[in-house]
Order: sequence, then structure tokens, then C-alpha cells
Amino acid sequence: MALSSFLNLLRRVRLVESVNDVIKIVERYAVEKGSIKPDRMLFVVKPESVRKLFEELVDKVGYERFYLSTVVGSDMKEENRFRLDYYVVILPEERTIVIRTYIPRDQPVIDSIVDVVPAALSAENETYDLLGIVFKGNPALRRGFFVSSDVVDKGVYPLRKDAAGV
Amino acid sequence: MAVTKIVEVPISAEVPIGPQHPALHEPLLLRVYADGEEVVRVEINTGYNHRGIEKLCEKNTFYKDIFIVGRVCGICNAVHANCYVRAVEQILGIEPNNRAKYLRVLSMELERIHSHMLINAVMAENIGFENLFMQIMLDREMVMKAKEILTGSRVMADFMMVGGVRRDIDDVKRARLKDILLKLRPKVEYYKKVFEEDETIFKRLAGVGVVKRRDALAHGLLGPVARASGIRIDSRASDKYDAYGDIPFKVITRDEGDTWARMMVRWDETLESIEMSIYILDKLPSDGNPVPDERKLPRRFPPGEAFTRVEAPRGELTYYVMSDGKSLNPYRVKIRTPSFNNIINSTFMYLKHTIADVPVILTSLDPCISCMERATVIDLEKGVKYTVPFKVLAGGKP
Repeated sequence: MALSSFLNLLRRVRLVESVNDVIKIVERYAVEKGSIKPDRMLFVVKPESVRKLFEELVDKVGYERFYLSTVVGSDMKEENRFRLDYYVVILPEERTIVIRTYIPRDQPVIDSIVDVVPAALSAENETYDLLGIVFKGNPALRRGFFVSSDVVDKGVYPLRKDAAGV
Repeated sequence: MAVTKIVEVPISAEVPIGPQHPALHEPLLLRVYADGEEVVRVEINTGYNHRGIEKLCEKNTFYKDIFIVGRVCGICNAVHANCYVRAVEQILGIEPNNRAKYLRVLSMELERIHSHMLINAVMAENIGFENLFMQIMLDREMVMKAKEILTGSRVMADFMMVGGVRRDIDDVKRARLKDILLKLRPKVEYYKKVFEEDETIFKRLAGVGVVKRRDALAHGLLGPVARASGIRIDSRASDKYDAYGDIPFKVITRDEGDTWARMMVRWDETLESIEMSIYILDKLPSDGNPVPDERKLPRRFPPGEAFTRVEAPRGELTYYVMSDGKSLNPYRVKIRTPSFNNIINSTFMYLKHTIADVPVILTSLDPCISCMERATVIDLEKGVKYTVPFKVLAGGKP
């Protein structure tokens, strides 16, 4: 009994360490911190450091300790910028953290991370087709697989707040 | 002798599989490029079923959206609604009572049982066991009945509400549900045994579509696919949403990583879900009415954002909901279904297998096309090039 509780404690300590490793790396890039309900830590980073951050994560902690869950792009029209949230789940504890960045609305370009984290493929393609955010370096970006061809012909990105006729 | 030079050969046979699909009765086109029988490249082409649900959610109120998100997927409508409703509850700061939480979990576990039985039945059909398919589907009907007793509807439950559930159950229904589950358990145990011990099934599935742990994580594969590769991820166990913190259950993992392991993970999870459902029916708390009064729900939404995860039958399903505090409509709803990752990011799994293995591998991913198709899907092979040594060009054997 005593031994098993001791092992449990040890396991818990190791879990805490593993989360801390990842968070320490992310924290170094963060310019601002916050949280999203329920209890997801939020780090705002500069758009040019997103790729560097993921490169360092893969380099230092490896693929087996986290996965990219999804990328959420939103159109913040009033602030005249797009917001990109990268949701990263840290293993083995499965703690979700958010890496957030903003890019200008008139020049929506950011470096792709698809060659660093292949899991970004589906999310980046979706964000491009719906919001028109260009992920520089992703060879698979293409319009019209998701939205129907008449919307593509109009050149409309449906999830933009000023999209007409969708 | 090590090969020192490689010439790329741009010729290969293209075999379109779908959109009327051999594996599932849903539209999806797999463009398979084959060198002889061997698959060298796969492109996934979808867009046959796109409905624009995220935009639709922005144009309707928070409460109407509960019904819209339920329609993303027929099979897992309760988990979609649950994930969305919990995000809205986070923004509003509401928490349902324990009885409602237990009933929610019960409806989601019943859904997991029938979803896993369905895909195992489809797998049986795909590998030529049509009788087994019919048997499993017949017994799956018992779960559909159970779901009807609980939620009032076989398929489209619309069971979740902000602050609770839409219906309560009485002791008569409780006894009937338990009776159904007790009858179902030996049948599922038998099917598991069939998949485990039948030589033909084992030979057809074992060693096909092996995914290594590292690949599964790098490509973001989720749910039973990841768990069959030895990755212990389960948002029920980590997020402990609703009543999952109280109900004991095991997270099933296997290390083989092949198609057979994925199907076995599903059978074990089905049994686990049956145990959980029986536990819920035995220990159902009675701390008040689980059905909230719809007229008393808040009519104003404070600004805020929430990101919720739920373990759908196919893996981690996430919802991001944002309210700007100015209107009754959400500012942004983002849905990421497990099939979205599992299907689009998994083209590497088919390589080096034969064309006949493609439907089997696809079925083992439990693809849910309408889930995925609310979002865009493109896949062009990334970085995978197929190469042929000089030796073969000269007519030699590889």
C-alpha cells in the first residue's frame, strides 16, 4: 500500500515535470498570458515566432509528448486583424494549452508549420479555404474543396465577417 | 549493394475509390495511385456533403445552435450537442445538477456502444462476413431501443439542454434499460471472441495499416486509432467533464497499432461502456430535477470564450465558442471533429499496402464523412515521393 502510494506520488511528480517542460518553452515566446474557460492556459505570441516555437517544441520534447489538436482562425473585423489559436494537448497528462497570435487583416500571411508538425495539415487547409489566411510553405493549400465552386468563383471566404452572399 | 541513384517515374495507375464508397455508404473519394498492386500515393477528395454549419451557427442564436450542432453527425449527435452545450455553460457560468450529468453520460455511452457496434459490423461486411454484419446490426437495434427509451428518439436525440437534459427517466424505464444492457453484454462478449479467435478475420486484419506511436502523434490521430497504437489519450479521463470523474472506467490501449488492434479496442470499449451504463443506472443520483425550466434560462450572454473537449466514439471532439457580449448569436463557433484529423492526416497509412487493403484500412479509421465535411478537406501528399531503382527500370526485380 505504502509502496503503491509512493509510486503514485512519483508518477504525479513526473507528470507535473512533463507539463512544465512544454510550458517553459512556450512561456519564453509569450508576450501576454491569459486563460480560456475551462482552465486552458493561453499564451499570446508574435506571428513570426509560431514556427520557431513549434520547431523548438519538436526539437526539445519530441513528438511523443504533445499533439496539435486544432487551429482556430477567427475574423476580428473591428480590430482589423485575424486571430489564430493553436490548441496543443500536452501528453501524458492531456493538458490543453492555447498559443494565440494575431495577423493583420489586409495581409493575412503566416509561416506554415505543416513540415514541422504534420497534424497541422487539415487545420491549415481548412483555415485557408474558409478565411483566406495564407500559410506560407504549405504546398497543399487549394481553394474549392470545401466550399462549393460558385462560392470560389465569387472569390468569397465564407467565414469572414464581411463575406457577402454566403 | 546500396542503391545510389534514383529516378522518379511519374507513371502510375490511378484507381478512384469512391465517391460511392466500397467501405462506407457515404461520399468520399480516395484517389489511390498504384504501382502494380502496391499503393504509392493517396489523395483524399471530399466536398460532396458540405453544409457550412459553422457559418450557420454564427447566424443563429446560442439556443438554436444546440439543434444545429446535433445535426453535424447522426451517429454521434449527443456528443456534439454535449460539447457545445458545455461550452455555452462555461460562458454563462451555469452548472447542471448531478442527475443531469449522469443522464448525459448515459446517453453518450449508449451512443458509443452503438457506434462501435456499427463500425465493427461494417468491417465484418467489408471483409466478406455478411452474416456477422447482420447479426451485429440486429443486436445493435437493442441499443437504439435503449436510446429511444432514454431520450425519446432512436437517432436524433436532441437530449442536451443548457443547464441539464431534456427528459428525466423513472424507475420503470431504468429497469428496462438495465434489462437491455444485461442482455446485450453476453452478445458483445461473443462478438469480441469472434474477432479475437476467428482465424480468417485475424489474418485479414492483423498487420494491415500499422501506425507507430510516434507517427500517430505527429499526424494528430485520435481516439481508438491512437489508443490502438499505445497512446493513452481519452478526454473522458483527463477532462473529467460531466460525471466522468465519478464513474469508474478503464482507458483501453493496445500496442499492436494495426487494423485488428483498432477493432479490438472498440470491442473492449463497448464492454467498458456497458459496465459504465449499468453503473449509472444503479447509482443514479436524485438531487433534483435534471430538466431546467427553459423560460428561466439567461437571455443575455456575457463576453467570453470556451474551448471544450469531449471523447466522441471516434476520438477527441472539440468545440470553440466565443461570445462578444453584444448579441444573442455566437461570434465564432469552431468544430473540430475526430474524423477531420483521422481521415485527412492519415494518407501515410495506406502506402505500401495493396489496393484490396485500402477499404479495410479506411473502415478501421471509422470514417464519419458528414462529420468531416462541414469543413474543408484537401490532401496532397506531402513530401512522400515514390522512387524506383535503376535495377527495376532495367527490367530486374526490386
